[in-house]
Amino acid sequence: MSTVTQEKAPRPVPRLRRTPIIEGQEAVLIAVLVIVGVLLAVFTDTFMTSANIQTVLYTVAPIAIIGVGMTAVMVTAGIDVSVGSQMAIAMVVVGKLLRDTDLGWFPALVVAVVVGSILGIINGLLIVVGRIHPMIITFGTLNVYRYVALQIFGDQQVSGVPDDLGFIGGSVQAVTFGIPNALLLAMALMVIMWAYMRQWAGGRHLYAIGGDPGAARLTGIQVNRKLISVYVLIGVLVGIASLVQVGSGGLIQQNVGIGLELQVIAACVIGGTSVLGGRGTVFGTLLGALLVGTVSSAVTHLGWPNELTNLFVGIFIIVAVGIDLVRQKRRTKL
Amino acid sequence: MTSDSAGRTSSNLEPMLRATDVAKRYGGVRALRGVDFEIRAGEVHGLVGENGAGKSTLIKVLAGAETPDTGTVTVDGKTLRLGDTQASLAAGISTVYQEPHLFGELTVAENIFVGRELTTRGRVRWAEQREQVAQLLEQIGLDPNLARRNVADLPVGEQQLISIAKAFATEVKILILDEPSAILADRDIDTLFEVVRRMRASGVGVIYISHRLDELGQITDRITVMRDGSVVTTRPTHELNPRKIAELMVGHELERLSVERKTVSEEVVLDIHGLAAGKSMKDVSLQLRKGEILGVYGLIGSGTSDLARAMFGIVPSTAGEIKVNGTTAVLRSPADAAAAGFAMVPGNRKSEGVFLNKSLAFNISASHLRYFSKAGLAFDAKRERATTLELMKKLRVKAPAPETRIGALSGGNQQKVVMARQLVESPSVLILEEPTQGVDVGAKDEIHRLVLELAAEGTSSVVISTDLEEIRTLSDRIIVLHQGRVGHEFPGDTSTAALLAAASGATDVDADADRAIPAPRITEGES
Repeated sequence: MSTVTQEKAPRPVPRLRRTPIIEGQEAVLIAVLVIVGVLLAVFTDTFMTSANIQTVLYTVAPIAIIGVGMTAVMVTAGIDVSVGSQMAIAMVVVGKLLRDTDLGWFPALVVAVVVGSILGIINGLLIVVGRIHPMIITFGTLNVYRYVALQIFGDQQVSGVPDDLGFIGGSVQAVTFGIPNALLLAMALMVIMWAYMRQWAGGRHLYAIGGDPGAARLTGIQVNRKLISVYVLIGVLVGIASLVQVGSGGLIQQNVGIGLELQVIAACVIGGTSVLGGRGTVFGTLLGALLVGTVSSAVTHLGWPNELTNLFVGIFIIVAVGIDLVRQKRRTKL
Repeated sequence: MTSDSAGRTSSNLEPMLRATDVAKRYGGVRALRGVDFEIRAGEVHGLVGENGAGKSTLIKVLAGAETPDTGTVTVDGKTLRLGDTQASLAAGISTVYQEPHLFGELTVAENIFVGRELTTRGRVRWAEQREQVAQLLEQIGLDPNLARRNVADLPVGEQQLISIAKAFATEVKILILDEPSAILADRDIDTLFEVVRRMRASGVGVIYISHRLDELGQITDRITVMRDGSVVTTRPTHELNPRKIAELMVGHELERLSVERKTVSEEVVLDIHGLAAGKSMKDVSLQLRKGEILGVYGLIGSGTSDLARAMFGIVPSTAGEIKVNGTTAVLRSPADAAAAGFAMVPGNRKSEGVFLNKSLAFNISASHLRYFSKAGLAFDAKRERATTLELMKKLRVKAPAPETRIGALSGGNQQKVVMARQLVESPSVLILEEPTQGVDVGAKDEIHRLVLELAAEGTSSVVISTDLEEIRTLSDRIIVLHQGRVGHEFPGDTSTAALLAAASGATDVDADADRAIPAPRITEGES
């Protein structure tokens, strides 16, 4: 008599899980922000003033605006390191036009958006047609665009820019309900993008492309068109962010935007966007940008040496990337 | 076995899809040389051929992923626009590729609807999608709660079934399954067959590609055999058997494997006692004699892969002892294992075995850099080339030169190179883990012959495989692991039924148990 007992290993019971509106990493970031804020309120009497808070939020605004686009780009497993040079071009073009012609704020917006989208299309086409890693292409255009910007500058900085764009600039008047208009603009853009990436089919396709571009193509997603569009989007957002920078008018220096890409990418990564693509939210990026801005301001207000900011941002990035990689590794082990 | 299906096919002879004179060239390689191929509604059509025979190119053409140089494809009499995945999808051709093409960070429901989401002005109607997917999953025998889960959180077998469910969710007329069973466990294969039968019953024409020839007999109505970019024949399944199919694939009659073997000597090369390692191996003892081939069989989770990895120092053993040629070996790393005389051909060639972008010679010498260096310093390229050539000849590696990039070779030839690497320094014990997984019939035969020849020359091998035929062809003795322990030891010619019974935990198995009884899933499959 045979005693073959057909042992079926129990299937793991799937855990019901809705995608929460605030994901784990974002909750942690909010907690860190609150803690840092409380500590600063206790240990300094200069940080928790409305003027300082507004300064921090205004500084964060351009990073958050570009971060909206960078999140979309990184979710498709791409990257755009040329944003700083793009911004230099957009700023010098808009600045010169504001100074030399009687351009109103709306034509300035149109110009900035057009300039940004041209630079974005160039990046997108090179990436899609050349099939070269976006990091390399945009590293190339980072240098090329900087050269173009310097040519437009001529050999001198742009000074005497009027403050037509003052309402989204950094002045004390450009504030609504205690929040700088620039950041409100960033938040509005974020809400739109957040809804698009979370709720709209076109937005979900960005995640699909980042997960597996070949498979995305096979399911009929227009991968190339989509990829070009995210680089155009980031170009447009750089254009908008440069309006915020030009905002209060005055002086535009030749070195403007240098290192900007690092701040934006840091905000995305700290906010939980995966460097491997397929994962990330603009809300996380906003939190990442706020954290970087807060820490940098905190270092100043505590009277610590400035280079500590670099140390903290570096640690945040490594921890965030580490969390992401550990998570991926745990999954592949299943 | 196929009587019901043969009856069905005769009822509807008008092809639903017809490909005529399809040719495709990649540089100098003619992947397809004017292929004619057709699928009827409500048939399961097996498509077989060795790697490089043109199957993949043909299905890519049908799926719109490749544009052929010449030829036409019609679906229901209408000409299909070629080289356009959208046109193929619109015509009702759906493809499930070998590796699940799913998006890990999206939920199962999203994956099934991706590219054709239910939307209101672009906005996804989540609840409706989830509801439909839950119904679909239930319909094909999967847990409806899976709909909400992220795909990356599911095991790979379940992912494969999800990709089939995905095809089922579309208005599919022609379903192409590219080796759907390659990564499935047995119980998932039952589900797979069930799904395929339901699709056939609903009038879908299924193209079923598989290297497991026994499966084709169970599930297909007709079989098309390809070789060298051409169709050799298309015949009703009941006119064929696995052996006949294999012969059509390789183009000549297969000889029975016959390698002169001395009787195994009494000298014990490897003595393992009470070994425990990893998550699933608890207590394994075995002995391997000089020139012997020991088969190790067990279900997934029974400890077979932990055994392989412990013998090669990848996972540390937590208890027990390993003796090689009488001396106790402490294996903390693969380097220790190599020094002790072990060589391992790992199971997952792509991720553990080869440097795809490097030459054959590089791949062979990579783990023997000291061996190939003069006075421990300068690398001896001449010797590397000579050894590579010698091994290429011995293993019949089909490649132009030692400098050829290994990625350009077929899976079977790559596997031979992986084995060649292990033979450079004549190991005492050769560990082979799934040595022929994913290679075609011809190469499988040659690899088997090679293992037998090595044994005849005195190499002792441990073959760990889930392919029962392979275990039975190669082994002098077979041990079956169950729940991390040695359940049974059998002679090499034990019936598959007895091995399966022992693997699933039976205690009183007769090695000579009725050999007419086929494997359980075959009987289940036809009930």
